[in-house]
Amino acid sequence: MEFKKKILDNGLRLIGEVNTSAKSAAIGFFVKTGSRDETSEINGVSHYLEHMLFKGTEKFSALEVNEAFDRTGAQFNAFTSEENTVFYAAVLPEYLDEVTKLWIELMRPALRDGDFDMEKNVIKEEIAMYKDMPSFDVMDRCRSLHFDGHACGHSVLGSEQSIDDLTAEQMRDYFARRYAPNNIVVACAGDFDWEKVCSIIEEPCGKWREQASARKLEDCAGSGKSARGEKASLAREHICLMSGGMSAQDDRRFAGSLLAAVIGDDVGSRFFWELVDKALAEAAAMQFAAMDGTGAFCSYIRCGSENVSQVMDIVRGVFKSVADNGVSEDELRKAKNKILSALVIKNELSMGRLVDLGFNWTYLEQYRTIEDDIEAIKAVTVDDVHAVIEQYNPGEFTQFSVGPGQSS
Amino acid sequence: MAARLDKHILDNGMVVLGEPMDAVESVAFGFMLPAGASVTPEGFCGAPSVISDWIFRGAGDKSSRELGDALDGLGLHRAGSVGSAHLSLGAALEASNLSEALDLYADIMVRPSLQDEEFEPARQLAIDGVHSLDDDPRHKVMIKLREHFYPHPLGRSTIGDIAELESLSAEKARGIVKERFNLSQTIFAVAGKYDFDGVCRQLEGLFVRRRRKRQAPAGAVEVGSKGGPQGAGKYTHIDDDSAQVHIGLMTDAVRLVDADYYNARVAVSVLSGGMSARLFTEVREKRGLCYAIGARYHALKDAAGIMCYAGTTPEKAQETLDVITGEFNRLADGISDDELARAKVGLKSALILQSESSGSRAGAIGSDYYMLGRVRSLDEIKDAVEATSVDSVVGFLRNKRFEDFTVVTIGPKKVTTNT
Repeated sequence: MEFKKKILDNGLRLIGEVNTSAKSAAIGFFVKTGSRDETSEINGVSHYLEHMLFKGTEKFSALEVNEAFDRTGAQFNAFTSEENTVFYAAVLPEYLDEVTKLWIELMRPALRDGDFDMEKNVIKEEIAMYKDMPSFDVMDRCRSLHFDGHACGHSVLGSEQSIDDLTAEQMRDYFARRYAPNNIVVACAGDFDWEKVCSIIEEPCGKWREQASARKLEDCAGSGKSARGEKASLAREHICLMSGGMSAQDDRRFAGSLLAAVIGDDVGSRFFWELVDKALAEAAAMQFAAMDGTGAFCSYIRCGSENVSQVMDIVRGVFKSVADNGVSEDELRKAKNKILSALVIKNELSMGRLVDLGFNWTYLEQYRTIEDDIEAIKAVTVDDVHAVIEQYNPGEFTQFSVGPGQSS
Repeated sequence: MAARLDKHILDNGMVVLGEPMDAVESVAFGFMLPAGASVTPEGFCGAPSVISDWIFRGAGDKSSRELGDALDGLGLHRAGSVGSAHLSLGAALEASNLSEALDLYADIMVRPSLQDEEFEPARQLAIDGVHSLDDDPRHKVMIKLREHFYPHPLGRSTIGDIAELESLSAEKARGIVKERFNLSQTIFAVAGKYDFDGVCRQLEGLFVRRRRKRQAPAGAVEVGSKGGPQGAGKYTHIDDDSAQVHIGLMTDAVRLVDADYYNARVAVSVLSGGMSARLFTEVREKRGLCYAIGARYHALKDAAGIMCYAGTTPEKAQETLDVITGEFNRLADGISDDELARAKVGLKSALILQSESSGSRAGAIGSDYYMLGRVRSLDEIKDAVEATSVDSVVGFLRNKRFEDFTVVTIGPKKVTTNT
């Protein structure tokens, strides 16, 4: 593995990790923008804009763009979160130059009115699709409740209303502010020629104009509120709990991930033995999400209506027990083993490696090898986990549930 | 990249397959037990999903908790699933822990405790799984589609049926384990970093020497007439107050053993291989009808189909279905050289990209062996894809028109089908 780095005069950061034993290469444009960088008037614009980048440039139509990608056999797509918009492609090494050129083109999209109007239909279909996925819907609504008023509570998709009201002009303005070179990291992983990739990127991307695009960072402990949504036709109760946590810049994030695994890994965790093994809930999982300047622990639980109060008593009991008595050495060891093997397996794919590489640079301006992360996880002690619990008690949570109407 | 394939057949008949991968530190393995949904006795739909939970609740000399802790201690990621033909048990993990993991999995398969008190929660979770499907219409429509498309019992739900799960007893489930956990018909596949001789010696010790008796093969599946479990029609609608109408559609395709298999795969790729493929272009890009739209080839050993999913708001459902079936039918009018070239490179690069994952390779070699009785090399597949031409694909499409569509919708509005 060899790490490479180059920063252009306009602030665009190029990084790469060359692995000549890989059969593929992956490239990603990590734009540091998401729903937290929106106002409520333009809520949903980051995600909508991600779609619009595929709609072509002054030179290419949407169909021509899609055809050009498909001619490389690329597995390409994009995703938008509260704080990042990432465009990526995994390809056979011989096609990396071509997909790199394509992404460079697309990063300066035409944003035509006609395409904007047509894509609005697709975005509204996506919003409708997620309404039919209560496990997703409940997390989205819990996030809004938890980050009550904080920008991280903005929905990534936006609402039907905010999307209806959004204009192409507002999107162009947002694009000009956020897709500045100094707000983008270009990362490559796998088998590729670094000099070649740089030579392709430097000239066209060097012309992009730097902009002030700093993000205001404020920590958020969470509202601690509780609410419930009803839909008569739902079969199950879907429960989401969120509590505050460390940021992506905080070294304690590894202890945070381990704590989440001890409490709520899919199997073998406290939630698993107390809730799933006993068939009181079919799903009970906790994850830790480190974000820019803040962070959150998030649990998702699904059970029958008849079990809700018992399940919530047990959940509170698990949180209380962790707060009062901590976690055991043995629990920590198992959690480490699971997280370490997941890390190794994920990073064996160029695409998996790309994501870690890009986000480490986005959040930390730092190159971390897989070994760095392995060492950091191994080094976490029971005391480190206890220190996290002391500051971020998972028992102080925000709760949002959706489920069927409650019979009185 | 002439990959090596390791193969050995144990004395009890279990097939052991392996594909070594130089670039990885992980290993993935899977046991394919002939205990899938289609071979479950009539009246007990969902039994495999109960069993796949129950067998982890204690095995060998370990209690449920001890077994779970031992598996977790190895840091392995369980990858079990219930399919039409098989109940698969497996995991991905760091290579140095493989031997200990195989010891535990042998206990789970050969010496599960199957205690009465652990049966009830396993069954309850399976019942809950069926209830939960009602809150996931996108998943439910595809389960229903398979039920209606494949001849019974091939398409039987892998999730289960509530009434049938309620009538399943511990005694009955134990009988199913005894009959269907047949090691002589089990395929074991491993990919990644491993020592094949060591693996074979260990499996021989775990599964052969400890169990002298060779099991008689379990009875074959009897395949019924087409039309799904209730002899349902080609169109089934399930009323739901969902935001979208979830459309599942499926039509016949050649099986993996068929000479036209690669022509069919290329045709599906032209239809829905990438973002420039016809369904995405016509349904989403030009008309804005859907967010999620896609078709893929789906194969069992004895039947195969092309399955398509689309989710769209009620007022657009009819147009969506009409455009989709129109695109299926338009394929036989011809495909361009450029479409063929894109389909080929898409199929080939997907194959190579997947080959970097030990989990994908273990799954692929096991499945090939079951379907074909042998494992295709990546080169064989690439060459066969490369050998297709516009003429071969169009010839295949004209010879076998997509006339019959099985359609299932879930949502607030029905559609009208032409079939």
